Amino acid sequence: MDVDTIAAISTGPGAGAIAMVRISGPVSSEILLRLAPALEEMPAPRTASVVDLCEPGDGEVIDRAVATYYRSPESYTGEDVVEITCHGGVIGPRLVLSACLAAGARQAEAGEFTKRAYLRGKLDLIQAEAVSDLIDARSRAFHRAALRHMEHGLSTRITALRESLVRLEALLVHHIDFPEEDEPPVALDVITEEAKRVVQELDALLATAPEGELLREGALTVFAGRPNAGKSSVFNALLGEERAIVTEEPGTTRDALEETVQLGGFPFRLVDTAGLRESDGRVEQLGIEVALRYLKGADIVLFCIPAAAKTSAEDRKFLETTAAPVVLLETKADLAEGPERDSTDLKGLAGAVQVSALSGQGLDQIRQLLPELAYSGLVGGLSDQPVLTRQRHIRALKIARSEVELFRNSLEGGLPAEIASTHLRPAETALEEVLGVITVDDVLDVVFREFCVGK
Amino acid sequence: MELRYDVIVVGGGHAGVEAAAASARAGVRTVLITPDLSRIGQMSCNPAIGGIAKGVVAREVDVLGGVMGRATDASRIQFRMLNRSKGPAVWGPRAQCDRSLYPVAVRRVLDELENLDLFQEMVGDLVLEGTRVTGVRTQGGITFYGTAVVITAGTFLRGRIHVGQEAGVGAGRAGEPPSIALAEGLESLGLEMARFKTGTPPRIDGRSVDFSRVERQDGDDQGIRFAAYTEEIIPAQRPCWITWASDGLKKVVSDNLEQSALHGGEISGRGPRYCPSIEDKVVRFPNAPRHQVFLEPEGLHTTELYVNGLSTSLPANVQRDFLQTVPGLESVVMTKAGYAIEYDYFPPHQLFHSLELKEISGLFFAGQINGTTGYEEAAGQGVVAGINAALKVKGEGPFILRRDQAYIGVLIDDLVTRGVDEPYRLFTSRAEFRLLLRQDNAVRRLGPLAREVGLLTKEQTQVLKDRLDQENKLVAWFHNTTLAPKDADPLLVEAGSEPLSGSVKAVELLRRPGVRARDLLGAASADSEIAEAKEGLRTGVLRAVEVELKYEGYVERERERAARLAEQSKVLLDYDLPYLEFETLSYESREKLARIKPETFAQAARVPGVSPADLQNLLLEVRRAHTREKQSG
Repeated sequence: MDVDTIAAISTGPGAGAIAMVRISGPVSSEILLRLAPALEEMPAPRTASVVDLCEPGDGEVIDRAVATYYRSPESYTGEDVVEITCHGGVIGPRLVLSACLAAGARQAEAGEFTKRAYLRGKLDLIQAEAVSDLIDARSRAFHRAALRHMEHGLSTRITALRESLVRLEALLVHHIDFPEEDEPPVALDVITEEAKRVVQELDALLATAPEGELLREGALTVFAGRPNAGKSSVFNALLGEERAIVTEEPGTTRDALEETVQLGGFPFRLVDTAGLRESDGRVEQLGIEVALRYLKGADIVLFCIPAAAKTSAEDRKFLETTAAPVVLLETKADLAEGPERDSTDLKGLAGAVQVSALSGQGLDQIRQLLPELAYSGLVGGLSDQPVLTRQRHIRALKIARSEVELFRNSLEGGLPAEIASTHLRPAETALEEVLGVITVDDVLDVVFREFCVGK
Repeated sequence: MELRYDVIVVGGGHAGVEAAAASARAGVRTVLITPDLSRIGQMSCNPAIGGIAKGVVAREVDVLGGVMGRATDASRIQFRMLNRSKGPAVWGPRAQCDRSLYPVAVRRVLDELENLDLFQEMVGDLVLEGTRVTGVRTQGGITFYGTAVVITAGTFLRGRIHVGQEAGVGAGRAGEPPSIALAEGLESLGLEMARFKTGTPPRIDGRSVDFSRVERQDGDDQGIRFAAYTEEIIPAQRPCWITWASDGLKKVVSDNLEQSALHGGEISGRGPRYCPSIEDKVVRFPNAPRHQVFLEPEGLHTTELYVNGLSTSLPANVQRDFLQTVPGLESVVMTKAGYAIEYDYFPPHQLFHSLELKEISGLFFAGQINGTTGYEEAAGQGVVAGINAALKVKGEGPFILRRDQAYIGVLIDDLVTRGVDEPYRLFTSRAEFRLLLRQDNAVRRLGPLAREVGLLTKEQTQVLKDRLDQENKLVAWFHNTTLAPKDADPLLVEAGSEPLSGSVKAVELLRRPGVRARDLLGAASADSEIAEAKEGLRTGVLRAVEVELKYEGYVERERERAARLAEQSKVLLDYDLPYLEFETLSYESREKLARIKPETFAQAARVPGVSPADLQNLLLEVRRAHTREKQSG
């Protein structure tokens, strides 16, 4: 009753060979029959049929398309769904969508198809979020993490942890409720050991969080160094395009340039910055301030020094501003054999590479080194561990962890079992919320707001 | 003959007694009708009141002006605080009672009530006007008219007793006829009905027990009472005895299993998992080396012992044979065989939280008829049904206890929301707010409510006020008083705690493990404030304050959780929501919600099998329905 039917163009905008309009809701099939008057009845479910689509008003032909019908509940949303694959382009798909709307559908809101799938129990909340991540993924590694969530990787783990907590509570409560039974009470250390195990598992999941969050945004990798150190050349070489203007003149780069790039399947935000030196030029000074801000927030600093030059006190001073690991790039390596450099006292030094943008020397070494530095826990391929990429999950797991830890501490500190066990339910609740056991509409809205229309 | 009352209570067991007392106390004219007035308040199974969670219920019933607490204090012959080795939040007071003294005390308390009459007859039928009850007819043809009727039929509705495989005998209890006409009358109203079973163990002659071969178990001190308002005289005390059934008994039971009514298929109803027969124990736990057996005195003036732990429906000769395998019972004389009883109950989702039937106005059910087991569970329902019957007469809204207010609230909400698939017994684990529902704070939780509903006499109201005043004074004292190292250190060292470097608030010291409120009171330098706080301290006051302050942080956290839940309870669901038409919900959830008809969103969330996604959809559907109503209206 009262559930309306929604429609949207599910493929991206712009010119493309084909586009897809998706319809979901109780009158999906009626809409298809109105749009395709030549159809006498609905095609068999899950079978592609070629149909001529006409305006519901004047009957003018819009397109020849392929329609597929998914009958409830065996569809993405769990409702009756019709997917119309039509010719792409700017006009055609919009005509098809307008025809759907004219025939009784409502324009879907962002994420509404997936929200319906969640509300119909086709996906849990983690999976629904993963759908959005799959679409947004800009690196193979993030895509992989999202796919694992789609496949229940994280849901299964969290469900199992929640069950461990419920079991812990049951063990304790049995002792409280049946004090005069035949079996002796469960030994306290059995319970504290189990709590310890749960904390360890939560820790293992949480350990993926810093890198998981990086996966979402890309690791902020900042080129820094004195003017004319060759930062922009290496930046361009890694991007494979002339993004930054390169001249002989020191101080050419004034603003910071940011580009996202995949290295070894992992996402990086490469930032080229203005050369660092004491300067009186107003514009250059502003550029340097921007560079320093980036240095502060960097996940990795690529500190560039021409291979022929020596590290100066000024270099060291600038590096004081960052806490990130520093990779020393000895640039223009094709021009000169480097001096015998003692870099061991450079703050945060994590590696050094001799690089030449011109010959390509050292570039592969950088491509290999950066993922190892930013994603050491994830490199080396597929661990079994689901990766936490969302603040929502991380927050909840942290709460669960601290409550279970409090539970264990209170038991070991001699507090009565029923007092200690008050920490278990908040921990369970936190985990349940990750899975979508929530009753507040707002949380759902927040989750689904991040979606694009058509999903 | 025709008689007129406001409230008619059918049945004189623990539910009926409390319903009648509550209704009469609330100021409406009440009659209690039962087939045998000499058996009012009978303990048909174990003569004991209380236990884990159940003991708290007994105290809650008492604070609500009930009978159970006073009758227990006046007849208890052994008292123990169960779970004393655990935290005070889960202590369970339990009393072994004299089987003959308990009903005497019940009758004495009932006779104090002005608005209550008693009448001896078996009720045969209800008098109805449409879907409203207006009275009952006895089998002797007398009609009692009333605005509300409370049925507390216990195990009497088509009750059938089984001992061994011989065809069962119709009975409400051993030696008493069942109630068949009333069962048929209720069934003809179109109510859903089902069958449960329960059992009792054999009784033995204490003179035939070799007490040198069993372990003696003495009671605790008598410092804790069930009754908050009245100090009854506690009788002389008796020990209980513990022995163990092992291989010999298991062999006798297994060899004769097919002769058991419970296991031979003679009984169809389901039995309580938590109070299993010895047949169940032997079959379900074949590897348990031994089973504990308590020998409990039936009274001061009898040698009879109740064999707790060996409930059975095997034939009498097999019962004697297995008893004689138990150490100490080698030549025991059995005085009464154990038996199983099966009976009708009405699945309790048919009730509102007030215990009034959803489909029949003015008709209330309480006790085993709702699928529960236990005297305390019955009594708790009885109080609530009695109060609500009286409120119905007065035209006032229902009296409902929340899950964070009382175990009785947990019990009734579980019954009407989750239903029962085995006889329902309370545990602490049924309560999500265990720390709030303690035996020591029953007075504070429920006393003011009882006063508001008018359940307390003038004297009881005064006692309540005094007690709460004392508690408040003590709490203030602990918060306002600082103890100097010289006063506090001796007791801190004694408790294994660090000595002080400077003066510290008494309440801070109380939170340290092992530090007792009593010792802190004693250690404080004499001042007028403490003298006042300590003056005429009532039983249990100090304990209540100690627990509340010692675990204040935890208790507060539970209160906050309860408050969040209360928010959900504010989303009311209309009684006539068309659940079956809510197509966005799974079919299973739609059916369950349509059956339970939850009163609030919070209650809907507790219906088993309703998924989180379904709850989301329910909210959306309800909002849509409201918007539509607004648009059309």
